[in-house]
Amino acid sequence: MSHNLTGPELEEALRWKAKMLMIFVFVLFCILLLRLVNMQIFNGSYYEGLSSNNRIRIVSINATRGKILDRNKEVLADNRPAYNLKIMPEDIRNVHDISGRLGLLLEQNNRDIIEKITQSKMRPYDPVTIARDISFDQVARIEAELFTLPGVSIDATNERDYVFKDLASHILGFLGEISRKELQRGQTREYVSGDLIGKTGIEFSCEDELRGVKGARVFEVDALGRKIKILSERPAVPGNDIVLTIDKRLQLVAKESLRSRSGAVVALVPSTGEVLVMTSSPGYDPNMFMSPMAPEAWKQISEDPLHPLENRAIRGQYPPASIFKVVVAIAGLATKTIAPQEKIFCPGDYTLGANTYRCWKTDGHGDISMVRAISESCDVYFYKLGEMLGIDRISKYASDLGFGKPTGIELRDELSGINPTRQWKQKRFGSSWKPGDTIITSIGQGYNLVTPLQVAKAMSALVNGGRLYKPSIIVSQGEHLEGELEFGKADLDIIKAGLRSVVDGELGTARHIHNPMFAVGGKTGTAQVARGYSSKLPDESDLPYHLRDHAWFFGFSPVETPEILVVAVVEHGGHGGSIAAPIVRDVIKEFYFLKGMEDEQIREDN
Amino acid sequence: MSRYAKITDNIDWGLIGTTFAIIFIGLACLYSSAGESNPAIFYKQIIWILTGTLVMAVVFIIDYRVLMYSAWPLYVFVIAALILVLVFGKEISGARRWISLGPMGIQPSELAKITVIIWMGYWGETKKHIQGYGIRELIVPAFFMIIPIVLILAEPDLGTAGIVAFIALIMFLLLGIKRSTLIAFGMLFIAGMPFAWISLKEYQRVRILSFLDPSRDPLGSGYHAMQSKIAVGSGGLAGKGFLEGSQTQLRFLPEHHTDFIFSVVAEEWGFVGSSLLIVLYLILITKIISMGTKAKDRFGSMLCFGIAGYFTLHIFINIAMAVGIFPVVGVPLPFISYGGSFMLMNLICIGIILNISWRRFIF
Repeated sequence: MSHNLTGPELEEALRWKAKMLMIFVFVLFCILLLRLVNMQIFNGSYYEGLSSNNRIRIVSINATRGKILDRNKEVLADNRPAYNLKIMPEDIRNVHDISGRLGLLLEQNNRDIIEKITQSKMRPYDPVTIARDISFDQVARIEAELFTLPGVSIDATNERDYVFKDLASHILGFLGEISRKELQRGQTREYVSGDLIGKTGIEFSCEDELRGVKGARVFEVDALGRKIKILSERPAVPGNDIVLTIDKRLQLVAKESLRSRSGAVVALVPSTGEVLVMTSSPGYDPNMFMSPMAPEAWKQISEDPLHPLENRAIRGQYPPASIFKVVVAIAGLATKTIAPQEKIFCPGDYTLGANTYRCWKTDGHGDISMVRAISESCDVYFYKLGEMLGIDRISKYASDLGFGKPTGIELRDELSGINPTRQWKQKRFGSSWKPGDTIITSIGQGYNLVTPLQVAKAMSALVNGGRLYKPSIIVSQGEHLEGELEFGKADLDIIKAGLRSVVDGELGTARHIHNPMFAVGGKTGTAQVARGYSSKLPDESDLPYHLRDHAWFFGFSPVETPEILVVAVVEHGGHGGSIAAPIVRDVIKEFYFLKGMEDEQIREDN
Repeated sequence: MSRYAKITDNIDWGLIGTTFAIIFIGLACLYSSAGESNPAIFYKQIIWILTGTLVMAVVFIIDYRVLMYSAWPLYVFVIAALILVLVFGKEISGARRWISLGPMGIQPSELAKITVIIWMGYWGETKKHIQGYGIRELIVPAFFMIIPIVLILAEPDLGTAGIVAFIALIMFLLLGIKRSTLIAFGMLFIAGMPFAWISLKEYQRVRILSFLDPSRDPLGSGYHAMQSKIAVGSGGLAGKGFLEGSQTQLRFLPEHHTDFIFSVVAEEWGFVGSSLLIVLYLILITKIISMGTKAKDRFGSMLCFGIAGYFTLHIFINIAMAVGIFPVVGVPLPFISYGGSFMLMNLICIGIILNISWRRFIF
C-alpha cells in the first residue's frame, strides 16, 4: 500500500509522539486525581459540614428601580424606603408558632402565613416575602422580638411612589407581584416569586431598563440559621431612569380641563411625534396597587362600569364622526376627484336609493366648496364626495394615515380601531359593501372606529406637510418617521385653510374658542352613539347618558408650522365644538403660556 | 481462512467494555440527578445511546479510509451547518447553537470537533513531511481550521471553540512542526492574548473573572462553582450513596445533568466512584493511543491520536470545572453528560477506533 508506514524512522517518530501524548494525558489525569484526593479525602469533612445542613445562604439584594421623569426632568415615579418581612423557609422550625406570632404582630390572618410558609418549603433556601411595606410601628415591634423568631428577617427596600397620584396613571402604569405565568416565561430568569414587575404602562414597557440588576450576598449561617459571616457580596446595580416626552404641567391642565368627565386628551408635537399629554378619565391612583391592597378595592376598581384602568387614549375606540371628513377631503383632493373651488349643493339632505341622509343643518348649506364644507362641517358635501371616491380609495387614504392599525407607541395593549373595507365587511358580517355604507363612512359614522392617539397621529401628518410619525412617549435619540405621504402642498394648504376656518370662520363649528392671541386650526366631531345618523333631537340632555353623543375636537397651533396638536374626546359629552374644543384650547393656551415663560427665561439668561 | 472468524476475533472487546462501563455509570448518575423529577430526560438519553450504538456499528463496518475521501465533503457540510445555525438556530439564553430537527436538537459544533480531526488527518496524509512543517505549509490548513472556530465563537460558544482550537493544535503538533515555527507561534499566541480578552463577550469575561475571584459573582458562575465544589468535597471517601446526594437532590447544583454531572458522581459515590471513573477513562484513552501506534497507516494513527486528544480535553476540562480548578465554560463529560449530539459523536469516535483496530488485520 502506498501510504503504509514501514520505515523504521517514521515508526520511531510515531512511537515518540504517542509517548508524549500519553505523558500529557497522564499529567492531566493526575492533576484531577490529586485534586480529588485533596477535596474528598483530606477536606471531605469541611465540605461535608458546608453541605450537611447547607450552611450557605444566598440572599439577593434588590436593585433600586429607575425613576420615571417628565420632559423637564420632574420626577413622576419615585422610590420611597419601605420594609418587607421575609422568612428563610429552611430556618423556620415551628411553622404554627411562628405564623401565629407573626399574625398577631402583622395583624394578618395566620392561615395565610402558614400557607405561604408551607408552599415555600419546596424551595427551602429561597427567601419568601410574607408581608410587604409594613408600617414603622410594626417594624419596631417585630425588631424587638426578632431574636425569638429564627428564620424571620426584616428587609429594607424601596417601594414605588407615584408622586402625582392619578395625574399620569395610564402612562406610568403600575407594579405588581410577578405572576406564575410571568415567572414561567423564558426570559424572566432574573425574577423569583414575590418580585415586583411592571404590569402596564411605562413600568411594563421599560421593565428591563428600570429594573436594574439584583445584587447578592452569600453568607454562612449556624445550625439555627443565624448569620456567622459574609462570604461574598455583589452590590446591586440600580435601574436606569426613563425620561418621558410628557410635559407634566400641560398634562395637569388637560386633566383639569377634562374634569371628571369620561374621555381622553392627547397632545403631540406634530413635527416629531413626541407625546406631550396623554390623559384618560376616569383615572386611578397607582399608589393603591403598591400597598397590600384589600381585594375589595381591587374589585371595585376593576368592576367599575366606567373602566378607570383603561387608557382611553390608546384603547378607547370611538366613531371619528366629522373628524373623518378631513381624511375624505384630502383623499378627494389627492385623487383629483374634486377641485378645491368646486361647489356642491347641499339642500339639507341627500337621498340614495330608498334612504335619505340628512345634513346636521336641516335647511342646508346651499352651494358650498371645500373650505366652507370643512369649516361648517357640511354632511351632504362629504356624502357626495365620499360617493364619488368610493370606499376603496377612502380606506386606502385612511390606512395610509395610520387608521385601523396600532400607532406603535411604547405602551402595551394598544387597540387598532377599525378602518372598514369591502373585505372587512365580508369577513365581519358576511355581506357585501353597500353604497349606503360609503355614505355614512364618509362622515365617520359608519363602521369606523378610531382611538384618540390615531387621530393625533394622522392629523399631525396632515398639518406637518405629510410626514407620518410614530407617536413616542419616551425621550430617545431615534427618529420616529414612518413614512412621507405624497400630498401636494396646495392640497394640504386647502385642508389647513378649512381647519383654520373651523375656529376663525364666521360660521365655523368651533368659532367660540377663537382667540386673537393665537391662531388655532382644528376640526370638531360629534359622534352619534345610537346607531344610524338622524337629525338631532332638540335637547341632548333629554337622552339617557349612555346614548348621548361623544364630543371630539382636534386642534393645532400655530397654523403655519404647528408646534402642538391636541385631541380631546369626551364620552357622551355632547357637541364637539362646545364640549371638546374648550379642552383643546386650554391646553394650547397653557402651551403658549409656558413657552412665553421659557422665552422670558432665555431672554433673562442672555 | 474464514473471514467471519476474523470479524469477531479481532474486535477490541476491551474498548467496547470500557466504553459501556462508563455509559452505565453515566446512566446511573443521570437517573439520580434528573430521573425522578424528569424521567423524559432519562429515557431520551437511553434512546440516544441505542441510536449511537447503531451508528457506531455502521461506522465500524465501513472502511475508515472512506473518511479520508470524505474529509472535504464533511468539512463543507459542517461549515454550512455552522452558518445555518447562526441564521436559523434556536436561541437559548443568548446563544444560537442548536438546529431543531423535529423533537431533537442538533449541535453542529459537536460534529465540527470530529471533522477537524478527520480533515487534519487527511491533510497530513496528502502532505507528508518528515522534517516537520514550516510556516509556509501551515498557512492553508490553519486558515481552514480558523473558519469553524470563528463560526463557533460567533454562536457564541467559547468552550466548544476552545476545544476545537485545541484539537487542531494537538493535530498540528502530532503531525510534526519545525522547532523554529513552533517557537514563533508560541510567541504570537502570548502576544494575541490581550486581543482575545477584548473580543470576549461580557458574560464570558465574567465567568473567567469569577473563576479567578469567586466573590465577584456569588449568584452566577461563582455560585455554580462553589456549589459544585461542596458537592464533590462532601462526597468524601465513600460517597453519600445512590440518590442520596443532598446537593444534587435539593437542586443546589445547576446543570447537574449536563455540565456538572461529575459532581453527582463524586457526591454520591465519593472518591471511590470518582477515581474509578477517572481510571476507566484513562484505560479508554490509553487503549486508543496504543491503537494509534499499531494502525496500518498514518491516517489511522492520526485519527486515533486526535480522538484520544478529543476525549482527554473534554474529560479534563469538565472535571476540572467541577472541582473548581477551571472556569465554568460549559464542556460536557464524554459518555456521561446528558445530550444527544455529544453522545452520538462519542460513540462514532469509538466506532472509528474499532474500525482502525480491526482493519489492521486485513491486507
